Amino acid sequence: MNLKNTVFALSEAAGAAGYEAAAAELALDMLKKYCPDAEIRSGNVVGHFGQFRDGLPSLVLDAHIDQIGMVVTYITDEGFIKVGNLGGIDRRLLPAQPVIIHGKKEINGVICSVPPHLSNDGCEVLSFDDTAIDTGLTKAELEEIVSLGDSITFDVKCRELIGERITGGALDDRCGIASILYALELLGNSPAAYNVTVIFSTQEELGERGAKIGAFEINPDIALAVDVSFAYAIGEDEKKCGYLGKGPMIGISPSLSREISDKLINTAKSSGIAYQTEVMNGLTSTNADRYSVNRAGAKACTVSIPLRNMHTPVEVIDLADVRLTGELLAAFIKEAE
Amino acid sequence: MKELLRELCLIDGISGDESAVREYIIDKIRDICEYSIDPLGNLICFRKGRKTPDKKLMICAHMDEVGFIVTSIRSDGTLCFGTVGGVDASVIIGRQVCVGKNHISGVIGSTAVHNLSKDEREKAPKTDRLYIDIGAENKDNAEKYVSPGDCVYFDSEFTDLGECRVKSKAIDDRAGCAMMIQLMHEEPEYDTYFVFNVQEEIGLRGSAVSAYSVAPDFAVVLEATTAADIDGASGAKKVCELGSGPVVSFMDRSTVYDKELYRLAFDIAAEKNIPCQTKTMIAGGNDSGAIHISGKGVRTIAVSVPCRYLHSASCVIEMTDLENSYKLVKELIRRINSL
Repeated sequence: MNLKNTVFALSEAAGAAGYEAAAAELALDMLKKYCPDAEIRSGNVVGHFGQFRDGLPSLVLDAHIDQIGMVVTYITDEGFIKVGNLGGIDRRLLPAQPVIIHGKKEINGVICSVPPHLSNDGCEVLSFDDTAIDTGLTKAELEEIVSLGDSITFDVKCRELIGERITGGALDDRCGIASILYALELLGNSPAAYNVTVIFSTQEELGERGAKIGAFEINPDIALAVDVSFAYAIGEDEKKCGYLGKGPMIGISPSLSREISDKLINTAKSSGIAYQTEVMNGLTSTNADRYSVNRAGAKACTVSIPLRNMHTPVEVIDLADVRLTGELLAAFIKEAE
Repeated sequence: MKELLRELCLIDGISGDESAVREYIIDKIRDICEYSIDPLGNLICFRKGRKTPDKKLMICAHMDEVGFIVTSIRSDGTLCFGTVGGVDASVIIGRQVCVGKNHISGVIGSTAVHNLSKDEREKAPKTDRLYIDIGAENKDNAEKYVSPGDCVYFDSEFTDLGECRVKSKAIDDRAGCAMMIQLMHEEPEYDTYFVFNVQEEIGLRGSAVSAYSVAPDFAVVLEATTAADIDGASGAKKVCELGSGPVVSFMDRSTVYDKELYRLAFDIAAEKNIPCQTKTMIAGGNDSGAIHISGKGVRTIAVSVPCRYLHSASCVIEMTDLENSYKLVKELIRRINSL
């Protein structure tokens, strides 16, 4: 598989939290190559990898399919669309940002930007109550196409930066999905040490809701939440960040299974795969938090791809980290010879 | 005119680096006029008409757009930049940009919202705290692709908004350039100077010297001006609005316009049934500021297309406003010559 093209296609598909269908269909198509039984269940994309073998522990590979976005809450008499947020959005960067409204058809819009003479020296950051979208359509025209409750995403294409670094609008967590697909490709027909289920879960950005019901249904022994985490950049606290290009960040936390963390680290070491650790002191704010306390409990861990500018239209990752994450997952799952 | 506007807007040309825009325009007008390029880069065109008027008339628009310039490269490979022209930090963060002649893609990122304090989330960002990330691992790596002094542009598409509006970077003032190119293709009744200026966005500098060179009696400045008819704005605060035709001001931050020309514009609009509006706040400014006090004074008027989100990568105008501005200006030119 072409990793860059896979990440680009996934990142440019629409799937705001709670509105994942388009991105999920694309991810499902991609997953079917490796998990022929894959299907969409209650929004989640779920598939089984390889031959089921009695007695093996069950392992789930999870990445979330949703992205941050907005939702149409009202259409004003002047034809402006009022919005609410889907997930944590930095309101400071909303002015003049181009967006796509996913109505009966997709329409382009621009978020209203308050000019200097009305904005009190430009010091204020708009609340969502004051945020509106300009579409060039009248209220009547809009009502033909857009319904209250339709989703909105940033209108952004992926771009290649220097080296293997790329930027895009929904790399969180479509790059996690790509790394799982890459791991499955690497595993090919080699026997796995686990009965592996793959899930691309919904509504992570709204509180890991898709993973909650996915975890219940799959009921795994072990869960690896493949997500993104903070990569160091100016303005970030270096001691709380990983680095771009230095490999997957293996989670260590009181809420995660130390056994799995250690095993991931040992796998990385013995396979010569670059890695970093991400030490947290409680919950992880990833789907791992859901798997660990599912039913009677599971051993969960996070494997995170470092990412800059999280939850903005200009997220940045290094494709090397996506590849290394796939390699680590494959090495972890592969049965020892 | 939409296709012309699209092509013009997609050319990159910040203040001081207008050559690509100028080349494009020269290509469009070389066969129909005499032209020269002055030391600053202004493109001064003389279009012969059927008659030579007693008074010299100059029509102008500016070629430059707002953007950024790389000021230094940090040890971590990120680029420090300065804004070229007035660009608000809130329309800079979270955008894709292109850097330098090789169009290296970059982004202007910011601290993840998760890691901002509650206070920081409510405070508009400061430009001097922003940087451009081109994906370089360090300074050496970055220096292979970019250099201090490289120009930086918004990476933005020209998009239709609904049936009659468009969104793009640089509509300020490629809209004016588009109108001029089209005007030049219709043989004027009188000899006319058409001037495409540089460096408007950093202080009306190109127009100061081109107005001196041309030394006109009358000037008509074609521009794009801030429309604030957005959600939540009402009454005078809208300043002007999309769909209500060209904007002709009696006064802005840099000019008190010629009263006879001001009245003439509205008289023409009324006679010809062209919608026309004035600004309801004293706001903005344009090359008129330099032109009207050039030499011993120039009788000046500006005709502007109302434009939302003016100095951003997402300027929005209504095409009918551009068409009506064109109609108004065409008639203005004819009538000014007989004043």
